[in-house]
Amino acid sequence: MKKLISMLLISVLIMGLFTGCGSSTDSAKGGNAEPSTELNIYMWQQYISDDLIVEFEKDNNAKVNLSYMSDNADAITKLTAGGGQEYDLIMTCDAYMESLVEGGYVEKINFENIPNAKNINESYWTAKEYCVPYLMNYIYIVYNKDTSPVEIKSYNDLINPALKGQIASIDGARNLFPIALVALGYDPNSINENEIAEAYEWLVKYNDNVVAYGNAEQNLTNGTASVAFTYDGNASWAMSELGDKNNLVIADFEKDPVQLGFDLYVVPKGARHVDLAEKFLNYITDPEVMAANLVEYPYSCPNDAAVEAASDDYKNDPARDFAYKENVFFQKDVGNVITIYNDYYQKLKVGE
Amino acid sequence: MQKNTFKRKTLPSLAMAGPVSLWMILFVTLPMLYIIYISFMSRGVFGDVVYKFSLESYETLLDSTYFKVILKSIKAAFVTTVLCILIGYPFAYYIAKKPKEVASKLIMLIMIPFWTNSLMRLNSWLLLFQTSGPVNNFLLSTGFIDTPMSFVYTDGLVMVGMITNMLPFAVLPMYSSIEKLSRSLLEASADLGASGRTTFFNITLPLTFPGIFSSIILVFIPSLGIYTVTDMLGGGKVLYIGNIIKNQFGSIRNWPLGAALSVLLIVITGLLIYIYTRFAKIEDMEVL
Amino acid sequence: MSISRKQKGKRRQELLGTIYSVAIYTILYIPVFVMMMFSFNNQRYNYYWNGFTTQWYAKLFNNSAVIGSLWYSVVIAVLATVISVTIGTIGALGLKKYEFRGKKFINNMLYIPIIVPEIVMAVALLIIFIKIGLSLGMGTILIGHCTFCIPYAVVTIKGRISGDGYSLEEASMDLGANRIKTFLNVTLPSIMPGVMSAAFLSFTLSIDDVVMSNMLAGAKNSTLPVLILSMNKTGVTPDVNALTTIMILFIVIAMILNNFIRNALKKRAKMEENI
Repeated sequence: MKKLISMLLISVLIMGLFTGCGSSTDSAKGGNAEPSTELNIYMWQQYISDDLIVEFEKDNNAKVNLSYMSDNADAITKLTAGGGQEYDLIMTCDAYMESLVEGGYVEKINFENIPNAKNINESYWTAKEYCVPYLMNYIYIVYNKDTSPVEIKSYNDLINPALKGQIASIDGARNLFPIALVALGYDPNSINENEIAEAYEWLVKYNDNVVAYGNAEQNLTNGTASVAFTYDGNASWAMSELGDKNNLVIADFEKDPVQLGFDLYVVPKGARHVDLAEKFLNYITDPEVMAANLVEYPYSCPNDAAVEAASDDYKNDPARDFAYKENVFFQKDVGNVITIYNDYYQKLKVGE
Repeated sequence: MQKNTFKRKTLPSLAMAGPVSLWMILFVTLPMLYIIYISFMSRGVFGDVVYKFSLESYETLLDSTYFKVILKSIKAAFVTTVLCILIGYPFAYYIAKKPKEVASKLIMLIMIPFWTNSLMRLNSWLLLFQTSGPVNNFLLSTGFIDTPMSFVYTDGLVMVGMITNMLPFAVLPMYSSIEKLSRSLLEASADLGASGRTTFFNITLPLTFPGIFSSIILVFIPSLGIYTVTDMLGGGKVLYIGNIIKNQFGSIRNWPLGAALSVLLIVITGLLIYIYTRFAKIEDMEVL
Repeated sequence: MSISRKQKGKRRQELLGTIYSVAIYTILYIPVFVMMMFSFNNQRYNYYWNGFTTQWYAKLFNNSAVIGSLWYSVVIAVLATVISVTIGTIGALGLKKYEFRGKKFINNMLYIPIIVPEIVMAVALLIIFIKIGLSLGMGTILIGHCTFCIPYAVVTIKGRISGDGYSLEEASMDLGANRIKTFLNVTLPSIMPGVMSAAFLSFTLSIDDVVMSNMLAGAKNSTLPVLILSMNKTGVTPDVNALTTIMILFIVIAMILNNFIRNALKKRAKMEENI
């Protein structure tokens, strides 16, 4: 009998779970008249200062729910699966914007409510009506000047056999193929299959030199790798971790451009608390707020006014001190050619 | 009369087998039908599913890359399974021969590490063996080696990770089947003059075969789909079938192809189990 | 003469077995000990050993996010275990005892969640939940977890049901006990070991699950494994190690207490018997 009762209790509890969730989101639906009191954001972990969130909550008498992705693809899955049901702001990156807009997965943003957006550098802004850039990443080469057998000045230096088992690299077809294409003198967003096939051959040699994909900071600081193809933010961690013993230097590229990518906020179709989302976007683009955020998370930032207002430590960060900052390329949508990239990428990783 | 059969037979069978059947139909059959359905659809420009019939995904599977990946995955899962069984059997035997009270505690002791996060456990191996890690430092300080050894991102470390991850699945079923063995039978064999080895090969091993069978299934099948271990300890340099399927649903975003690969994986696994049960002359899968 | 040699051999075998098992336990526990050790690491992320600190334990008590997500994981794991074991137990009995149309089909279906990579089930469930308008959250994570726990529970419990159980059940019913009484007093005790290992397995699978939880989570809460996975861009912060260390200590203390209480109860029972 006890069991029966407990089973009954459990089933009531489960029912409660569903109805509970359903009603709470419904009642919180934001209209024009009443300001929303809840904001649901989906973004990277370790990417925004907790203190700033608390302050925003206090100022707006609202609750901010942060949940975190582990992969860019997570955000896309949430967006395409009807993310507006759950989230008011989703972080994604510039490379996806074109398709997201085309697919109708994101809302247009009313910039009248976000005056601070003017602080953002226009030249770093794609799909301007639909997103607000947050932070950005250069994907470049750093190496340990004491242990690396090669002084790196171009992508082609990375396939030098002397570097066998020395490189810690980021992963993903759309991060690896562009450097091969650039090294071969082609467009980094090539849609020509022959060029992609050539890039594949280049990457086979590169792959031989890679010790591990991912974990770049860890492998650089503990000596497993002497070269890393990684984000400037991660290089910054590694350098500050090593402190006075820092022997990491940014590769002194003479000609080759580096990839620049943005993490930006979009409002998913059908978001429920747009008013609060706009307030949040305006808050985070405020130069002082962003400058405070950069103390804790010293990444490159497209918000010029915020960079101006940032601390000296931030401005003098060795990880952002390189000459070819303007010589960048962006990841562009390659349409259906993406399947060709993916096929070669898989071939690369499967090997013989 | 008819009402009586209803009350005696239909009602209890409905009450008992009903919930599990309903759950399986709602949350396994339906999703699987959907997966099969989208495997015949086409991929949209943005990786969304376009509901237009196409055999494209299955045509892609004919590419030799996938054949290689599947062979490689089966090989890795096979090695893991064999090692887990070989290492796990004596261990299970040792536990099963302990008094019941002690045995249950020993089993619990196997499970506890698995309540901690698996990614962090895997990372521990990296922290331990990395170039400036404790193991290398120790070896350097004792003068065994002059330069740090590279333990991380090697096949050896991947195997360590695989085995430590899968061992409980091997030990649990073998333990319960060894424990069921009646002691008197073994004693009788010994009394009749059989040596320890003879008893083991003629009695213990054959009688515990169902447990070994379950262990093989419970280790082999998940090993076939696992990808976190090779990703973390192998440095993500090698893709297995699990990675490829995950990537189709994740970064690559080709759901129809991912679905077709899943269907292929189910068919292959089903086939392997079928051949295996025939070969091992096991009538019923219920030994699991 | 021969007997003593036999005993000697037995003792040697016993010793070898102990050494072997200790070695296996050591290998299983090495990662856990490393994890605990690095909870005292003086570094923002655990890259290498950088000196001793206890700051992460202090941070842990000021940072409710990590503790909150552990709590969320535990609640889900307990609920998933209770649901899976309940459905699994009566399901295993029903599937073993009764013949009905479609039984073979259900039996085969039970293998699907074990075979199919979790991500496939997770994506399929996500799409179906969204199509029927179920809001994502604890409920959907629970369904996901139960979907892979139930098959393991059924399989484990089915292995424990023996044929002679039926005659006992019938005897009990002949003696006038109703179905529920019979189930509670006769059937359940006989399959208890299976039920226990099913519970263990379900809890273990649920508490460490990341794929289902990641896909099916709503906006408000995430489980600890999902939180840890999302740290992969930078690295896991040592406060998570601190939390794990506390958790392990908690389990060990609970085990010792449990053991202690059981022994005390046994002693009392014996004493009462003697009186």
